[in-house]
Amino acid sequence: MSTATVDNNHSAALDAAESTDAHLITVTLRVRRYNPEVSDQASWVDYKLEMDPKERVLDALHKIKWEIDGTLTFRRSCAHGICGSDAMRINGRNRLACKTLLKDINPEKPITVEPIKGLAVLKDLVVDMEPFFQAYRDVMPFLITKGNEPTRERLQSSEDRERFDDTTKCILCAACTSSCPVFWNDGQYFGPAAIVNAHRFIFDSRDEAAEQRLEILNDRDGVWRCRTTFNCTDACPRGIEVTKAIQEVKRALITRRF
Amino acid sequence: MTAVERHNYDVVVVGAGGAGLRAAIEARGQGLRTAVICKSLFGKAHTVMAEGGIAASMGNSNPHDNWQTHFRDTLRGGKFLNQWRMAELHAQEAPERVWELETWGALFDRTKDGRIAQRNFGGHEYARLAHVGDRTGLELIRTLQQRIVALQQEDFADAGDFEARLRVFQECTVTRVLKDGERVAGVFGYERESGRFFVIEAPAVVLATGGIGKSFKVTSNSWEYTGDGHALALLAGAPLINMEFVQFHPTGMVWPPSVKGILVTEGVRGDGGVLRNSDGKRFMFDYVPEVFKDKYATSEEEADGWYADPDTHRRPPELLPRDEVARAINSEVKAGRGSPHGGVFLDIASRLPAQEIQRRLPSMHHQFRELADVDITAEPMEVGPTCHYVMGGVDVDPDTAAAGGVPGLFAAGEVAGGMHGSNRLGGNSLSDLLVFGRRAGLHAARYAQALTASQRPAVADAQVDAAAAEALRPFSAEPAEGTDGAAPAAVGAAGGAAGGAAGGAAGGAAGGAGGAVAPPENPYTLHQELQQTMNDLVGIIRKEQEMEEALTRLADLRTRSRRAGVEGHRQFNPGWHLAIDLRNMLLVSECVARAALERTESRGGHTRDDHPQMDRRWRGVNLVCELASPPDQLAAQDPAAGQITLRRRDMPPIRADLLDLFEKDELRKYLTDEELGQ
Repeated sequence: MSTATVDNNHSAALDAAESTDAHLITVTLRVRRYNPEVSDQASWVDYKLEMDPKERVLDALHKIKWEIDGTLTFRRSCAHGICGSDAMRINGRNRLACKTLLKDINPEKPITVEPIKGLAVLKDLVVDMEPFFQAYRDVMPFLITKGNEPTRERLQSSEDRERFDDTTKCILCAACTSSCPVFWNDGQYFGPAAIVNAHRFIFDSRDEAAEQRLEILNDRDGVWRCRTTFNCTDACPRGIEVTKAIQEVKRALITRRF
Repeated sequence: MTAVERHNYDVVVVGAGGAGLRAAIEARGQGLRTAVICKSLFGKAHTVMAEGGIAASMGNSNPHDNWQTHFRDTLRGGKFLNQWRMAELHAQEAPERVWELETWGALFDRTKDGRIAQRNFGGHEYARLAHVGDRTGLELIRTLQQRIVALQQEDFADAGDFEARLRVFQECTVTRVLKDGERVAGVFGYERESGRFFVIEAPAVVLATGGIGKSFKVTSNSWEYTGDGHALALLAGAPLINMEFVQFHPTGMVWPPSVKGILVTEGVRGDGGVLRNSDGKRFMFDYVPEVFKDKYATSEEEADGWYADPDTHRRPPELLPRDEVARAINSEVKAGRGSPHGGVFLDIASRLPAQEIQRRLPSMHHQFRELADVDITAEPMEVGPTCHYVMGGVDVDPDTAAAGGVPGLFAAGEVAGGMHGSNRLGGNSLSDLLVFGRRAGLHAARYAQALTASQRPAVADAQVDAAAAEALRPFSAEPAEGTDGAAPAAVGAAGGAAGGAAGGAAGGAAGGAGGAVAPPENPYTLHQELQQTMNDLVGIIRKEQEMEEALTRLADLRTRSRRAGVEGHRQFNPGWHLAIDLRNMLLVSECVARAALERTESRGGHTRDDHPQMDRRWRGVNLVCELASPPDQLAAQDPAAGQITLRRRDMPPIRADLLDLFEKDELRKYLTDEELGQ
């Protein structure tokens, strides 16, 4: 490859590769826009974009924001699926915009992008996350132990650590909770994410407050509301077996073994 | 007078990553009312992206490890330019901070006997990184977040108010540190959601805002990394040091374009991954620099033997410090031995069984499968350098984290300078956050506690008005006057020729106005041009003429940024937010370019094509950046003058007992004869 013009790094060659646009396709992003300062009503707005099919929905949203309409509003932070800021409803399914490649969601048809459901929309794709985080805080998501703090680490076997590994992967993106039909109908329900985070401590061999957390989830708005539709498991961008975790909490409530 | 909401706290922490949260926990633990401000939602900080682990010489994996060895590795990695007292405190206190994190509930991978497992990493003599798979940063943030929730519930039980002593202001941006005379008096900022301004009055402010990577085009950094804390410190009158040292992580993804720059953890190499060029050659053996020759293997057999038996084998050269590996990859690509998309190959597939790769590196497996359509258990990854970390930052007192010259201002984490010298070792950043986050919180609290009610600083209305006017500027962007309109257009077009489509579009837009009144500049276009400029002209390999060209372009961008205009209202207006962030990025970019131009040697995260050698005379010199023009004339009309003045400062000599940790022969490579004589 030629790097003759700018020889101090390889970006010139890559920029050249990017600028050949033979592989670009035209996609239509149909975005649910809402601005309470302008209108009470949300509306669909179509944007036609030239995109590489290997680009992500987040890239398409950035393209709109940077080149077409600087007021388009959405949350994003790390842009590769770790921070959990950009969960949205893409073609009717909850996903992270930074992990959804255009080629994987049928770009021949308009791609719909709307805010996650069950939480109040503030502007465009941004929802009020406070009820979601309130449910998280309500399950006491922190290690509770009795006795003196050790001077070094507590010991934990690899097996004990593995027991709750899956539920420590949660990035609090709300994709699961906002895909849950029970939560849509009743925002009082703790929702899958809060239960996942309770599970993370209930099954941690170091923790000594499992009984308390189980009692919280035994509430009328707790785990028994779950109808095992598996929407949450399907929606989780981290591949956490959310429904299974909820079932394990239910079983622990019955057997009191954890 | 602008009507703004006012709050009153003892300590304000700006930033809610690892350093900020640890500082806040400490300040609240001292009994003080503490506020934390973050640009994103609570818990989404950039720290979550750290994958490899936390460096701490707990000795769980290798009992020979101790703080002295960690200190030694840190100085070697930083090419002896580290603030040695910070490196000493860091090495001594890191184990306590990791154990503390564990007692707060953090999940760690474990040894067979149930202790915290430690993994190998570049530049560390022993397996030293406490980790959980490749999501250590996420677990660190989550644990600190959980700790804060726990403390707030304690406060509710005590005082009936969750936020009695610790409140998180999320999705808020600070634009100014406010002062009362010389002293800190609080902060001014806006809520991103409503656009409403607010003031938090407080005698102590801890900056914990992270880095500056969003000034570069190819970066592993998230959108928050716009150098806010660096700029806030400068504007408040505190100097920055070491800004020429920017770490390019050797292994970022290079393909597809949309994910270029996203990190591939060093853990891949720590767990056995090797780098190959297009000939299939393991090229790192050719790039072991003189100073490290006796510590790294010279053959593949010796290198491969090290993983199982580190005591009788030397380390594989893939585990050299990051600056060395990044330069080596750059050289291979330049020599025409790169991968199809301009990187090199990182191969773990031929080194470990598929199942083992999935177990040890699940996030990487996932990331490549989902974003690049590559199965890393079957094929190599394509990787290349990506802007990752800035070693430079606020000049702080090593023990207290107090910023120089501004009583009440503190800084910790990436925004603080000195700790890592010219190059940071992998794993030393998470430990840095915890060690100095705690220290900053503690000393900010002590500083605030020492003030009587009558001694507390006050926020003057005039300062608030000035800060508000500055923040509102983008809504009434100045049109360019008369013939001036043509000049930026021409420069914009020139930038476009070298820098891709972004510059060209801006040139076209400005030129299209026919020289009368140019329309406002698009802040996104300005940002893209800034990123391209820094990437191409002040990137991984630097030259005098290119950096001079960069300073010219930065001056032009600064003039044009006065006309960065935005549409719409203040409610959740990302265009407006970026227009404000541009001020910060332009400030820090100028620091990087000026300092890099001044330092005529190559060291760590600063490589000069025209001065390729490390020069011992530069070893003990810090370059100090300060704001040149008074803050109220910040957007100076005169582009040539610049905003930053630079001066040289000698570093304090390294304490004798710390120097004794090294062999004389090694010290000779770094220290001048004069220094060795003393």
